[in-house]
Amino acid sequence: MHKDTYVIIPVYNEGPVIASVIRDVFKKFSNVICVNDGSSDNSLSEIRRAGAIAVNHPINLGQGASIQTGIEYSLQDPGARHFITFDADGQHRTQDAEAMLKHLKKQSLDIVLGSRFLGSAQNIPQLKKILLKAAIRFSNLSTGVHLTDAHNGLRAFNRHVAENLNITMPDMAHSSEIIHRIAECNFMYEEIPVTTLYTEYSKAKGQPLLNSVNIMFDELLQKVSKK
Amino acid sequence: MILLKTILIGGFVLLLIRFVLSPNSYQIRAWKKIIGALFVALAILAILLPNQLNRVAHFFGVGRGADLLLYLLSLAFIFALINQYLNEKQEQKRFVRLARKVALLEAEQHNKRHKKT
Repeated sequence: MHKDTYVIIPVYNEGPVIASVIRDVFKKFSNVICVNDGSSDNSLSEIRRAGAIAVNHPINLGQGASIQTGIEYSLQDPGARHFITFDADGQHRTQDAEAMLKHLKKQSLDIVLGSRFLGSAQNIPQLKKILLKAAIRFSNLSTGVHLTDAHNGLRAFNRHVAENLNITMPDMAHSSEIIHRIAECNFMYEEIPVTTLYTEYSKAKGQPLLNSVNIMFDELLQKVSKK
Repeated sequence: MILLKTILIGGFVLLLIRFVLSPNSYQIRAWKKIIGALFVALAILAILLPNQLNRVAHFFGVGRGADLLLYLLSLAFIFALINQYLNEKQEQKRFVRLARKVALLEAEQHNKRHKKT
């Protein structure tokens, strides 16, 4: 069951759903790493109960930091060839992750990104849609990497990408950082359609719209201070 | 006067960009201290010779000495804010690395214990 593939799930206060998400991923993948990002609920015990490997941040660091921790943990296994990032709130489908992995191998790409707008996003809130569209236009213009969805948590990539990704933006700005890295390192990338399930739970947990102001600011600052 | 103002504003913008680009280079660190010292010296002078401050302000096309002081103070404040923000980001990166190391070590130990049993 994809022994050379690690599924990395950043977890922050997802106690009510994380165990069922993990069980679902286990149907197709045997290596599941959950990075518990200093959750204040029972996420950590739920992760262990479901049988996934838990890496436990002593304090909350942010989703970007969690993904990087998961990558570094997986890279310790020299047999790890492929990596998948997967959201903990149950909005991704395991079969999409598997389809992305197959596509990655078949086309020998470096990274495959999921897109809600190529596929069918279910129950996507209208305001969120407008914001995501604006975000992608900004991202395409500033990086030259052409995508239809800039902030999708579902990604599959190979070891070369895992070793060079080096996410430094600890919070949500990491999505854009990954796109910047694709441009910098000339990774072979492709997007494939995935279905995003906007359940009541994930909608309540999702990013507040106003937070995009913070993300934008960090991105801009990062851009000027890197050159 | 317009020319002088343009030069001054341009100078400050350049300084700001340079500052954001490499906040920790030794030049920037040195300039921070020099400007800080100048600022203190200017403040003392302004207390001792309030009328002279007015003349300096007039020279720059600013109404009163107090106004000039306000402008300089706002500049200093903005620089201090940005300085603090950049330092905070730097600090954050450092402790993320530290916390990650702790998490990885702990996970390794946990795995070892479970393999034994």
